[in-house]
Amino acid sequence: MSTETKTTQHTHPDPVARTTRRWTRSGGRPRPTGNFELFSWYFFRISGILLLFFALIHLLIMHLLNNVDVIDYNFIVQRWASPLWRTFDIMLLVLALTHGLNGARVLIYDYVHSRGWRTFAVTTLYVVGILFIVLGAQVILTFQPQIQSVAK
Amino acid sequence: MYHKFDAVVVGAGGAGLMAALQLVGKANIACITKLYPSRSHTGAAQGGICAALGNTEEDHWEWHMFDTVKGGDYLTDQDAAEVLARDAIERIIEMEHMGLPFNRTPEGKIDQRRFGGHTRNYGEGPVRRACYAADRTGHMILQTLYQQGIKENVTFFNEYHVMDLLINNGRCVGVTALEIKTGELHTFHAKAVIFATGGFGRAWRVTSNAHACTGDGMAVAYRAGIPLMDMEMYQFHPTGLYRIGILLSEAARGEGGILRNVNGERFCERYAPTLKDLAPRDMVSRFIYQEIKEGRGAGPNKDYVYLHVDHLGKEVIDAKLPDITDFARTYLHVEPYKEGVPIQPTAHYAMGGIPTNIDGEVILDEKATVLPGCYAAGETACVSVHGANRLGTNSLVDLVVFGKRAGLKAAEYCQQNDWESLPANHEARSKELLGFVNAGASDGKRTEIAGDIRKDLQNSMQDNVSIVRNETGLTAQMGKLQELRERYGRLRLQDTGTKFNTERMEALELGCLLECAEAATKGALERKESRGAQFRDDFEKRDDVNFLAHTLAYRAENGGVKELRYKPVVITRFEPKERKY
Amino acid sequence: MATQVTVKILRYDPEKDKKAHFETYTVEADPLDRILDVLNSIKWYQDGSLTYRRSCAHGVCGSDAMRINGRNRLACKVLVRDVGGDAGKKIQIEPMLGFRILRDLVVDMDPFFEKYKSIKPYLINYEDAPASSERYQSAEDREIFDETTKCILCGACSGSCPPYWAGPDFVGPAAIVNAHRFIFDSRDQGAAERLSILGEGEGVFRCRTVYNCTDACPRNIPVTKAIEQIRRAMLYNR
Repeated sequence: MSTETKTTQHTHPDPVARTTRRWTRSGGRPRPTGNFELFSWYFFRISGILLLFFALIHLLIMHLLNNVDVIDYNFIVQRWASPLWRTFDIMLLVLALTHGLNGARVLIYDYVHSRGWRTFAVTTLYVVGILFIVLGAQVILTFQPQIQSVAK
Repeated sequence: MYHKFDAVVVGAGGAGLMAALQLVGKANIACITKLYPSRSHTGAAQGGICAALGNTEEDHWEWHMFDTVKGGDYLTDQDAAEVLARDAIERIIEMEHMGLPFNRTPEGKIDQRRFGGHTRNYGEGPVRRACYAADRTGHMILQTLYQQGIKENVTFFNEYHVMDLLINNGRCVGVTALEIKTGELHTFHAKAVIFATGGFGRAWRVTSNAHACTGDGMAVAYRAGIPLMDMEMYQFHPTGLYRIGILLSEAARGEGGILRNVNGERFCERYAPTLKDLAPRDMVSRFIYQEIKEGRGAGPNKDYVYLHVDHLGKEVIDAKLPDITDFARTYLHVEPYKEGVPIQPTAHYAMGGIPTNIDGEVILDEKATVLPGCYAAGETACVSVHGANRLGTNSLVDLVVFGKRAGLKAAEYCQQNDWESLPANHEARSKELLGFVNAGASDGKRTEIAGDIRKDLQNSMQDNVSIVRNETGLTAQMGKLQELRERYGRLRLQDTGTKFNTERMEALELGCLLECAEAATKGALERKESRGAQFRDDFEKRDDVNFLAHTLAYRAENGGVKELRYKPVVITRFEPKERKY
Repeated sequence: MATQVTVKILRYDPEKDKKAHFETYTVEADPLDRILDVLNSIKWYQDGSLTYRRSCAHGVCGSDAMRINGRNRLACKVLVRDVGGDAGKKIQIEPMLGFRILRDLVVDMDPFFEKYKSIKPYLINYEDAPASSERYQSAEDREIFDETTKCILCGACSGSCPPYWAGPDFVGPAAIVNAHRFIFDSRDQGAAERLSILGEGEGVFRCRTVYNCTDACPRNIPVTKAIEQIRRAMLYNR
């Protein structure tokens, strides 16, 4: 009885089962991504809250308390004389970029379904993102004030 | 297309799923449904499922059995009622273990509440026997059983409409079914077939039943030569939403809701001093009928009464009756917190159906000759455990108790018996039927519209075969049905497509409704007495001398009822008495 | 009381049409009629080929989820007067987005049910149940997952979800709701398995908190809240 059971079941597959294969395009369930998605989601929330403060302070200082015409080389020199402001700007840079990158990554996962294109898009995104972080960080960290009087 | 399964279950509601689960691991099985399993009408059951668990007060299965027998006006087969009341307890526990989320008592047990006709100590007063999951008990049972089906990898054929029952050499050997999506005819060759296809409430205008409840299984069996039993016993539920018939559960009254007429009088008190609003359904429906007839109905046409739950308070309503109050708001724009809900009796449940014994085996005559390999359970079957009137919640009990028994018996049958071949031309009858319906799309002489025939059927059944019946109405209805059958022969079809042709499906369903209606009307005409749901104003008394028996209706080869036979009622513990509440 | 109601329906017959197109019907209807009654009236008396699913007609079976005036609704839970049909407003009816159309308003539900199955929608408990009694559960524990037991698998939530439209592999809100029903059931021991399934790329983190699902649910299940509770469970119960 039981052998008969098996063979008939295979020759008459569940009509529903046929469509299973259709929706999981990559064949079977997507591979587990560990805790990456969870941390990515959590990071989104945390970085979002932090960015709110960082961006507001940034906005306040650069656009409201100081008019654009007072923001010049000297202004930056004075500001970055303090390690506190350098840290602030590094944080702002890294958080804003990673938050934005994460958002873009999620969009890619939503709308780019082919495995090849997805890998390409995400790789490009990461390369560009890391490049900007490195460039920005280099400026902030290695900036040395020049003697201003010479220029005048 | 040809399929071969040890067992085929037709219908994926409570009974079908329960039966299918019994076959898992013992037989290779398929479950055919014309919907998706989770769409079955079991899901519409609201109030509860009774079992003498005794979780909140003393209760015994004997009391449950007695209530079932008395509720059925002694037409109930008492061996079946005993099985129902005993097995109910195990089935509830079993479903709880499957994960059914029952409401709980403070100590964490399954909570129980009152329900119509369920009493303590053989009729002394209402008892808390109905286990419930808010007012969506049926939904939770359906979901839970479907979930188990998924877990056990049951093979479902969704959206397949059953066409024919195949019999060869005196044995049931399978069914044919139409795949709605493709229009293809499939043959399911099987050792055992279990019918669990539900009722035929769509034969009436005001009904609580789904559009899908068109008696397909009953009609298919009837056409294959199996009699239909007690079809005249059709229950009208007292509290359907006015005009559209959507069910408002008896749980509303179980929780303390009351019925009032236009004068604000609690009229049930007058008719049933002990149980009042919780008297059995056939009686409460007649009380309402009487109130309306005597001019105490409300509304411009004085044709409804009110169900009041406003005095129960917002908390009770929200916690225990959320869905049905939502129905009142959605469909009538009535706020149950503050006012009475307009209700009228609604066609609800077929006590009758395909006759079976207590193991779900389909029987062919008054001597209970079994048709080997053929089983039925649930509303489509008539064990007969509900007799002339079903008690509230016993439908759900019936599904799981007799669904399980039919499944177990079928599993045993599959293991003990070899294959029987299909009859010659096994698709002939299905193809003939399909050919007839399809021809409606090309034959210019076919001018009858299914919508008109259906409307005429529903209106005439509502007028002649509802709460109160008599010779004149029933005779007229037999004539009407004859006329409708002829008109059905000239049925027009507009949809010529093969894929997802639901017009064709509805035409097939209408054919099934006509078969069921005819058996019901004929049974009612010949039963010259009043018993349970069958109330004749020309024969107001119960007649145990002539009619303490089940009606068996046999179909004539080319339509219509050929003959009626009567099968004696099984009486074990309780002698028939007058029914008072 | 009957008035003339104008209904615009997106039609598609795979055997005849290359593309879906709108057809307009005028029907006599009562303001208290359901949209489903209106569809029935068209099908029975005007155009028998109009195709849609229906069964219970009162919002408990979940067959007739469709887009009514741009929002996913059950045709049997919207009355003509709810959408101003009796006041002369045209009613537009389309199949749900995010599903393959089989014919007219009928969409392919099979992938939807496969996703439902993928989250193990059944009680998992590795211990033997008590021999002759129920498993005990406090009324408070029962209350925790009450909302998500209401799901009727109609698909209105998933069909209103932008990430579900975009990503054919996303399990969708309906499957997540049903996972919630078991994850928060004190009798269930499969939470870890389900959380790990939902923690994957196509699980709960596809949700963008759009709240369309919550708006669409005909059973008033707070779907987005349920999804959020699952994410929190992943974060805190590690």
